[in-house]
Amino acid sequence: MIQLFHISKAYGRCQALSDINLEIGKGEFLLLMGGSGAGKTTLLKLLFGGEQADEGQLLIQGQNIGKLSPREVPLLRRRMGIVLQDFRLLPKRTVYENVALPLVVAGASGADTRRKVSEALRSVGVEHKKEQLPPSLSAGEQQRVCIARAIVNSPLILLADEPTGNLDPHLTSEIIELFKMINARGTTVILATHDPQVMKQVNRRVVTMQHGKLVGDQQGGA
Amino acid sequence: MRRLGYLLREAWANIRLNRTTSLVAVVTTGFTLACLGVFLLIYLNVRGMAASLASEIKVIVYLQENLSEAQIADLRQQLEREQAVAALSFVSKDQALADFREQFPSDFELLEGLGENPLPASFAVTLAPRFRSPEFVRRWAEQFKALPGVAQVEYSQDWVENLTGLLRNLEGLALSVGLILSVASVTIIGSTIRLTLHARRDEVQILRLVGASGSFLRLPYLIEGAMLGGAGSLLALGILKGGFELFRLKLGTASQLLGAQPWLSYFPGHVKGVLIVAGVLLGAVGSFLSIMRMREAASL
Repeated sequence: MIQLFHISKAYGRCQALSDINLEIGKGEFLLLMGGSGAGKTTLLKLLFGGEQADEGQLLIQGQNIGKLSPREVPLLRRRMGIVLQDFRLLPKRTVYENVALPLVVAGASGADTRRKVSEALRSVGVEHKKEQLPPSLSAGEQQRVCIARAIVNSPLILLADEPTGNLDPHLTSEIIELFKMINARGTTVILATHDPQVMKQVNRRVVTMQHGKLVGDQQGGA
Repeated sequence: MRRLGYLLREAWANIRLNRTTSLVAVVTTGFTLACLGVFLLIYLNVRGMAASLASEIKVIVYLQENLSEAQIADLRQQLEREQAVAALSFVSKDQALADFREQFPSDFELLEGLGENPLPASFAVTLAPRFRSPEFVRRWAEQFKALPGVAQVEYSQDWVENLTGLLRNLEGLALSVGLILSVASVTIIGSTIRLTLHARRDEVQILRLVGASGSFLRLPYLIEGAMLGGAGSLLALGILKGGFELFRLKLGTASQLLGAQPWLSYFPGHVKGVLIVAGVLLGAVGSFLSIMRMREAASL
């Protein structure tokens, strides 16, 4: 499903990624482990077209991401869900409106949007909060809304960058269970984290990164 | 349709969320366009006044003494054949004397002292509107002066030339002022949109993440600029209407005595429409320029 061949990326003199080779299968749950500056975020950015690799090839379902025109990047992102550590919710829009955004930009019909948003909110357990504004929610609830927004258009791939970074251990556990549930429905999940607790709880394939290089790739991280 | 609704709602939300900035932009644009409107109003009124006066301007073809009826009829025919002549009336020597007596009763004794009537017969010629340019009137007068039986051709040359010159200057002034103020409006609305973009950079990035295309991100800001420009031009029309009515009120009796009142008119419907469209376009252009300048920084 996702193939990276000799991917390298530098920001000025700083080498963020060096010669990355990686293959991720359909429906896989992959943890990208590594400390700060390991290159996890850069790798995720390459996957959703936020950055271009300096060298190498990145294929998603056989499509070369490096050769996408600026007009094609939004189309790629509509096939993905993205969850970030800082939630990135629109503070002056209700929970419902935030979750509906991917459908609105894709031009979905009103009835379709209502049905899918309700489904997504129900599956992450915040349907009763749909009329509230994000700042009135707890951190855990905000991350749930963010996940609902990421899965509302039934993406093939879900990318999550430190989704539990701002949460306490109890909420972390709840959020990880949500990712596992989404993965169980067939969505490929790539989750970047530095948290060993997450690795233990997920207990799937773990790819370890350090200074922009892949230094480990093993099944069942524990 | 749903996306269009979303884009319009977004534009309106942008304005509501940045109420103060939007209000400042509308008011400033309103006053800027009102300044432009003042010149336009003056220009249109002077042009209307000039057109009305120009229709009053007559070219007088004075005839030589002792012309026979046949010679006069021949001259009349020649004048009537002219394409430039819209109306023609013959003033006999007796009629000229009667007119003089009526207009200058106190000076009439001077003419009586001369014995015989010294006033010549004449044709009063009204030229068709498209033949009233100073150059044409001068050429036409010279051409007819050379005809046998014609003693003199007179017209209010200075008046025609001054009026045309005044209109030309006003046109130039209105155009220059209009250009400067249009640039000012574009800059003001552009700055407002830039502030909005700065304030909403995070939001733009979020929309990018969920797959919004460039045009989807840019359109609300273009619509917002157009809305601000349109609101500014409506405000300008309101200011001008208020000012115009106040001016007419102040002018009051004096203008009625001078007969100026009928010339004074506010913008006709189509000019109002043009002003509103101009405001909308200026707003959209200002917005477009800001988006282009901010494109990289705001991920547009």
